[in-house]
Amino acid sequence: MPQVRIIAKNFMDMVAALPAMKLDKLYENAFICEAILRSLPPLAKKYVLQMLCIEVPVTAKSMEEWVLPDGVSKHRVAIDRLIQLRIFTETVDRKRETTYTLNPIFQTNLKKLLLYGVVLPREPMPSNVTVRLPSSEDLEAFALEQWECFLLQLINSSQIERPSNISSSMMKIFQRGLLSQRDKEAPRLTESGFQFLLMDTNAQLWYIIREYISNSEERGVDSADLISFLLELSFHVTGEAYNINTLTEVQKNTIKDLADLGLVKLQQGRKDSWFIPTRLATNLSVSLTDSSSRKQGFVVVETNFRLYAYSTSKLHCEILRLFSRVEYQLPNLIVGAITKESLYSAFENGITADQIISFLQQNAHPRVAERVPSVPENVTDQIRLWETDLNRVEMTPAYHYDGFPSRDLFEGASDFARGYNALLWEDPEDSKKMSLVVKAENHVHMREYLSRQRQ
Amino acid sequence: MASAPSKLYADDVSLLMVLLDTNPFFWSSSSLPFSVFLSHVLTFLNSILLLNQLNQVVVIATGYNSCSYIYDSSTSTNQGSDNGRMPARCVNLLQKLEEFVIKDEQLIKEGLREGIASSLLSGSLSMALCYIQRVFRSGPLHPQPRILCLQGSSDGPEQYVAIMNAIFSAQRSMIRIDSCYMGSSNSAFLQQASYITGGVYLKPQQPNGLFQYLSTVFATDLHSRAFLQLPKSLGVDFRASCFCHKKTIDLGYICSVCLSIFCKHHKKCSTCGSVFGQAQSDVNSTSNKKRKTPET
Repeated sequence: MPQVRIIAKNFMDMVAALPAMKLDKLYENAFICEAILRSLPPLAKKYVLQMLCIEVPVTAKSMEEWVLPDGVSKHRVAIDRLIQLRIFTETVDRKRETTYTLNPIFQTNLKKLLLYGVVLPREPMPSNVTVRLPSSEDLEAFALEQWECFLLQLINSSQIERPSNISSSMMKIFQRGLLSQRDKEAPRLTESGFQFLLMDTNAQLWYIIREYISNSEERGVDSADLISFLLELSFHVTGEAYNINTLTEVQKNTIKDLADLGLVKLQQGRKDSWFIPTRLATNLSVSLTDSSSRKQGFVVVETNFRLYAYSTSKLHCEILRLFSRVEYQLPNLIVGAITKESLYSAFENGITADQIISFLQQNAHPRVAERVPSVPENVTDQIRLWETDLNRVEMTPAYHYDGFPSRDLFEGASDFARGYNALLWEDPEDSKKMSLVVKAENHVHMREYLSRQRQ
Repeated sequence: MASAPSKLYADDVSLLMVLLDTNPFFWSSSSLPFSVFLSHVLTFLNSILLLNQLNQVVVIATGYNSCSYIYDSSTSTNQGSDNGRMPARCVNLLQKLEEFVIKDEQLIKEGLREGIASSLLSGSLSMALCYIQRVFRSGPLHPQPRILCLQGSSDGPEQYVAIMNAIFSAQRSMIRIDSCYMGSSNSAFLQQASYITGGVYLKPQQPNGLFQYLSTVFATDLHSRAFLQLPKSLGVDFRASCFCHKKTIDLGYICSVCLSIFCKHHKKCSTCGSVFGQAQSDVNSTSNKKRKTPET
């Protein structure tokens, strides 16, 4: 899905768009350096590594010597990105030679990482204090449940069991763009809302986090601080407990919101309280790159258009309901059918056939994922055909002219309309009736032309 | 055999198999001390793991008598650094390395061999290939593998057949073998390995700056190599070793059935058992001698 890419890129653009001062401050944190490095295009990563131990400026010419003719565009992209993120500083000296130097703060931080290895942002709490740590399965389940609960609330589903603690104003912000609210009507998902639901979890998470960050200034939180905290969080070890007192006041407030999203689990001990990062949090920096998450699929599509989804999730059911008719639900199985009617309602809501197909393919059950193609060809073809069915008739507002006094005038008018590329239809030559159909937007020109001819 | 790289994975995710030469005979005579070499390599490993969170590094020690896996980034956790400055990753690796070297030394005492003190490269190459095959079979999602030989000791002609077999199976599975040779003269085996598999062979001119060589040349992922000008080897030594005395030879005899190479004329091929006609061989030996150096 192309949307995923755009969102991940937008986040980096967001970092790149920070003012220079803030960006430099951001690089003081070694974790940010690491996360940023990992998000770079492969060639840019290599350049950074290559420059790491070079203190003097390197000329652009000597860097270009490494590049094969095929790779010039990639080279440009990499260098531009590095300059945009202020990792490289470009200077042009008196002899018109361009040189690059690595950002010194970034350089020292990365060198430290290389020499001493990656150190954790904060030490986990000793196990004798934290007695009831959840197992990794429990934690995973918690994160998923929390995230689904949030999503269900986001799409205003009637299926919510317990509302999360996210304030309604915050929810409104998240819903902006995803839901459209008309007066006295239940809010409906917009086109982008549907597309959002079909994305994978990481991409969804980034969408929400991005909204959360861009909104931070209104809540009086510095967006650079927030970005650095979120990135730092992604380097914690999943399932370990970290003392909440090591956080600043702002971070403490943030972490409560993050707990509602399922990024961390908060626990209260006798004296201290602590937070446990879940996989969602540690995947934050993963989704910065283009790599897709390795989630296990659950959908089996059969050649008879039946759909079996091995899932207990209500959210999955809601998503499937978007484009299929859910026939029955067992505790761990949802059975549905892809029908013409169900697809038409999906298309009406702005979901495209490709999105549905890629959703089915990405979430294919491991048993069928091995097969090529994972979704039967007759099903994918039919989905596409039904979509093109809807696009068979194209509507163009037009005007119909007839009753021309002479053949010459008629032909002149049709040539004139053709000149504007506006002629939609004209009577065949041999026909006695002289009439033509012209696009409505060119009616003014036509009228002028005809009145001129009459004089 | 050739496994198609998965499109779902990011382009630059790599699995790097590092074959580390620990041959004591070489390092005792080397200008670059082993400790300095090791610190360069450790920094390099750190940098590979830093570049992408899905990158994986496996280190295999190539000893004099044995070889062994000493580090795998996918299984070792990055926790519990007890002595402040040293990260857990290095501590684990160094500990395993020490155990390996001691064990390898004991094996030397048991059966001291005469001749060139070469390392067991064929063994570690095969281990690396086995590991990669296992990764290939683990599922459709896997990082792009490559092998990096950090070799110092000179070639052991007795391993010729085993090494060539390993190289060809790497070629079949489209695994590149990079080699960084630290010894004084060039290594024909590694030159051939990199040439055949499309990897990079490099002999650092200044071993003290090893990290710069490693990070500039060998850290380049397979995806980026398509756009970059990497060092090309000027000439490759294609000489083979004979099967009978394991000597490197320029001219020799080839079995017309199984292509085994011999330095002397034999009545019967020791590999496939074909009986050679010998009518003219004694009379006109020069015409029967075949140039065995392949030109390609």
